Amino acid sequence: MKTHTTSKGVTVIIDNSLKKFKGRNLFPEKLKRANEILAHAGVPDLKKLKNKC
Amino acid sequence: MKHSKYLCKAEDSFLVFKFSSEGSKGLVQKIVIYTETGSENVYNLGFGDYDSQTGSMSDRSVTNNGDSAKVLATVAATVYTFTEMNPAAWIMASGSTAARTRLYRMAITNNLSEISEHFAIFGYNCEGRWEYFVVGKAYEAFMITRKENDDTL
Repeated sequence: MKTHTTSKGVTVIIDNSLKKFKGRNLFPEKLKRANEILAHAGVPDLKKLKNKC
Repeated sequence: MKHSKYLCKAEDSFLVFKFSSEGSKGLVQKIVIYTETGSENVYNLGFGDYDSQTGSMSDRSVTNNGDSAKVLATVAATVYTFTEMNPAAWIMASGSTAARTRLYRMAITNNLSEISEHFAIFGYNCEGRWEYFVVGKAYEAFMITRKENDDTL
């Protein structure tokens, strides 16, 4: 059984049968809303936010 | 999050994770999937119950297995794993309902000092703008990225 352990010591079992889910839009409403937010606001503008603090 | 976590399986690009919630309702399979958005390096975190018999996924079902803290800690652990493999990634997350988004906000608040060791966290506010996460403030969505990506910190 192939595993991967993160730097925080969390172990994950590698199961490539899960590849069948890759690329599938399983949560279309959520993805749609995420893209709407990104189109409106982009990603956080770090310099702008830092100047505000 | 220092809560106990479920053991996860993942495929080798760490975009899809699976684990089983165990509780009073029995075993419920959960899937966490990181989906590319229309913005480069920004992924949407989706999470829900998977029915292996029908192949259907739902992010609105209420499992009521009595293990929500452990489930959320497990989902949080996938963020650590995914961003270790994709250090430049930004991850967007929100609940499928306002109540779930509030639950995620509470989980972030309760684990803020631990999360802030490695990540910069933002909330999408009612003005339609991103800001650094503020405790006690309501947000529609959250964005998280490794602190190394925030060169202002």
